[in-house]
Amino acid sequence: MRKPTRKFLAITAGLASVALLAAGCSSDDGDDNTPSETGDTTTAPVSDDPVTIKIQTFNEFGYADLFDEYMKEHPNVTIVHNKADTSDNARAAVQTSIATDTVTDDIVAADVDWMPELIASSDFFADLGTDSVDGRWPDWKNALATTPDGKLIGYGTDSGPEAVCYRKDLFEAAGLPTDRDEVSKLLTGTWDNYFTVGAQFMEKAPAGTAWFDSIAALSQAMVNQLDAPFEDPATDEITATGPDSQVKPVFDVLTSDKVLAQSAHLGQWSDPWFKAFAGDTFATQICPPWMTQIIAGNAPDQTNWDVADALPGGASNWGGSYLLVPAGGENVEAATALADWLTAPEQAAKVFVEYGNFPSQTDATTDPSVTGKTDDYFGGAPTGQIFSNRFAPISKQPFRGSHYFPISSALSDAYSRVDVDKTDDAASSWEKFVTAVNDLQ
Amino acid sequence: MTSTQLPAVGRPPADGRELRPPRRVGFSQTLGRWDVKLSPYLYISPFFILFVVTGLFPLLYTGWVSINEWDLLKGQGDFAGFDNYANVLQSAIFWKSLRNTISIFLLSSVPQIIIALFIAAVLDANIRARTFWRMGVLVPYVVAPVAVALIFGQVFADVGGIANTVLDKFGVDPVGWHSQVLPSHFAIATMVNYRWTGYNTLIFLAAMQAVPRDLYEAALIDGAGRIRQFFSVTIPMLRPTMIFVIITSTIGGLQIFDEPRMMDQFGRGGSDQQYLTVTNYVYQLGWTNKNFGRAAAAAWLLFLLIMVVSMVNYFLTRRISSAEQMTKNVKRKKVRS
Repeated sequence: MRKPTRKFLAITAGLASVALLAAGCSSDDGDDNTPSETGDTTTAPVSDDPVTIKIQTFNEFGYADLFDEYMKEHPNVTIVHNKADTSDNARAAVQTSIATDTVTDDIVAADVDWMPELIASSDFFADLGTDSVDGRWPDWKNALATTPDGKLIGYGTDSGPEAVCYRKDLFEAAGLPTDRDEVSKLLTGTWDNYFTVGAQFMEKAPAGTAWFDSIAALSQAMVNQLDAPFEDPATDEITATGPDSQVKPVFDVLTSDKVLAQSAHLGQWSDPWFKAFAGDTFATQICPPWMTQIIAGNAPDQTNWDVADALPGGASNWGGSYLLVPAGGENVEAATALADWLTAPEQAAKVFVEYGNFPSQTDATTDPSVTGKTDDYFGGAPTGQIFSNRFAPISKQPFRGSHYFPISSALSDAYSRVDVDKTDDAASSWEKFVTAVNDLQ
Repeated sequence: MTSTQLPAVGRPPADGRELRPPRRVGFSQTLGRWDVKLSPYLYISPFFILFVVTGLFPLLYTGWVSINEWDLLKGQGDFAGFDNYANVLQSAIFWKSLRNTISIFLLSSVPQIIIALFIAAVLDANIRARTFWRMGVLVPYVVAPVAVALIFGQVFADVGGIANTVLDKFGVDPVGWHSQVLPSHFAIATMVNYRWTGYNTLIFLAAMQAVPRDLYEAALIDGAGRIRQFFSVTIPMLRPTMIFVIITSTIGGLQIFDEPRMMDQFGRGGSDQQYLTVTNYVYQLGWTNKNFGRAAAAAWLLFLLIMVVSMVNYFLTRRISSAEQMTKNVKRKKVRS
């Protein structure tokens, strides 16, 4: 899933007129003449010549202070920060630079969901594998930035170990425990258990209050626990619509009457969804660290949110980003050094303390400054320790093949048809999903 | 032609005087002819050179892309012939997007032009603070489409939106502005009309002011009232402007992109493609699915559609608004002869 993107910023004006012309802009030179500077670029000592490093990020990476610190330590370095207004625009910028084989930024940030398509164009990026970053991240984080032949093209920045955010007052009203540890015990277990507790909640909950926000959001969490939700890891063939589909059982559970009855029927990332955090619309929310910022930001006056150290179905990760260095850039060495420094555990811990982006670096997640962090908004919950606990047992991320992004979108639409728009029942919505996926081939 | 006005050169004079060298005269003559014949084209050529580079070339190149397999990042693949066109035409989503495009086009362009004509007629009359009102109608045009989408997003929100709140006061059930097909088209058409009505009004107004006043005087003497004047004098005299406005709004209306893109948080035209337009579909094929070949094919199909609809509009407009004019012309000719 994309990290939070507010809806109306999603696209800038003037795209209408390019519809017909859009296809004309790509260059046809493919992969063959891409500059490749793989190998020993990073082992050479970084020179002291004046150098300007351009870095593109999106949303909030929390790097502003770190840039100042780095420039103070390295007087010859000037960092130019180009922050895309949304992650979608950042993705389009990266795609365009690959398609036209031009390097505009020395370092580009990329969301985990774009990594499959960037891996497919890995010649465009420098090999960042060095001794200094060996073992910095868990294997599941590195796996999505490593090509089949072992080239590391991205340094992990943040991660999204999921917990469950819940509303104390609504739990109390429905006769459920409200204490953080008790709720954690209550929600630890299978998804089946989560929906059983949900059914109990719905029996006694105040009218108009649901158990969770949207089935598309739960689907995100459940898909993140699968091995290969949409495609065959060996062949990249689409399996989502086939007889061995891993998402079909998830779809059947989520669109069952029992589960639908517990949904607030909100479209994830829609305006009503953002507004609902302040009201009494739903009681639980699947909560990676970055989601806690969204809740706090959209419901500043709601004092009843808390975080439980649990995730139905087992620990898993939702979201997270990488820093990549285009191989054709002018300052590959200096850029690699900066990306290395920015993603070192010490810096990642600082970013978490300051901005709340949870690190993906193994050492950073156990750093005392990280585990010691508490969050007053969530009733003083030890969020650093909770997310560190949620991070440790993660062992995998689902395989993302070359069609991951469009299939994921089509699946989200399939849930919305049943849950939010109610234009289809589960069976016909699944049929439409199959049609949409077949269109991709 | 200048050459005919010059004295005859090269013809043997009758009195046997020596001839002037013909070459110099001939060359300056050629230069002069070139000047007259070529200069106009030279003067307008910058536009056309720019058009060839930025318009025609991409257009043809898109055609080339559409008959190949073409990935956004990997570039050109195998030659595909008309496979991309076949794939697009077989896709249920394409036909849905076509339905939406035509529906939104009709819901926006038709009322837009009628309302613009009406407002222009009112502004053409003698009213106080004329310039203020005339500039006023253009204000919505200045607002960026994204801002318009933001404003109307509040109006047409499914929960707690102004439109549903007002409907609720009258005991009408809330409308699913984002989930139902026709209401979503209505919402998008409203955004489009909000922006473009004023623009078209000004064009109509300019044309109306160019109508010779004596025509109205003559109509008045013949006993025509305001309404009769509007339909029998104003509308026929506006024919070329009508054709212009209808063709530009056809092109714009069939390429609506921003408004449906901004309707919801994903910009995919609704979970069931309730308001996905063809341009949105082209974007989705190219940028989400990374299939430039198919996106180019869909873009060309849209181009053909716009050509066909523009042609139909052109002939319809000519027929409708020239019917009376023609009868008048016939009468006039008879009088002259």
